[in-house]
Amino acid sequence: MTATLEQLETLTADKVIDARGAACPGPLLEAKKAMGSVTVGSTIEIWSTDPVTKSDIGAWSAKVGHDFLGSLAADGYDRVFVIRRK
Amino acid sequence: MADNEKLVFMVMHGVEFPEHASIPFVMAAAALASDVEVVMGFQGPGVDLVKAGVAETVQAPEFPPLAKLLADVREMGGKLLVCGPCCKSRSITLDDLVPEAEIVAAGRFIAEITSATSTLNY
Repeated sequence: MTATLEQLETLTADKVIDARGAACPGPLLEAKKAMGSVTVGSTIEIWSTDPVTKSDIGAWSAKVGHDFLGSLAADGYDRVFVIRRK
Repeated sequence: MADNEKLVFMVMHGVEFPEHASIPFVMAAAALASDVEVVMGFQGPGVDLVKAGVAETVQAPEFPPLAKLLADVREMGGKLLVCGPCCKSRSITLDDLVPEAEIVAAGRFIAEITSATSTLNY
């Protein structure tokens, strides 16, 4: 499942995780922790300055069964969106 | 853990190679975050990494501090198995290691490796 850029731009996440400045695997571990704090169906948004976080979170979501929605480029970082599915 | 997947990470490098020392912890943490069971095996100079206080001295460029990676692996339930003869030759006892570490012999390593989905050597 992916969302269009327009959809992502209007999306309000249930939880935002600021992982800017964290080196791999920091953003992934923050996403994992955040999933435990939201209900199934909730959306989390991860902020990361590591350019590989987008693909990493995408691969992780597919592996563990969440929905990776995509990402938006912000001012010097990426906003990565995932829906908790389990 | 999903589908009974298990990865074993054999760590042979110690504090003298910070990058080699950090990468298996990065991979182990990512595996645990992906619902994969993790066993880390420490042999040779790698045993120093799980001595209490040593991880705090290791920082590879562009990697998280080893102390943070070790804490993440411990927090998420990774097993830390340490080679008995390697400890003995370095006068390391269980009391010298981080709390979750376990000193084992070759048979335990073989049991973990042969029951794993895959084993990665560092």
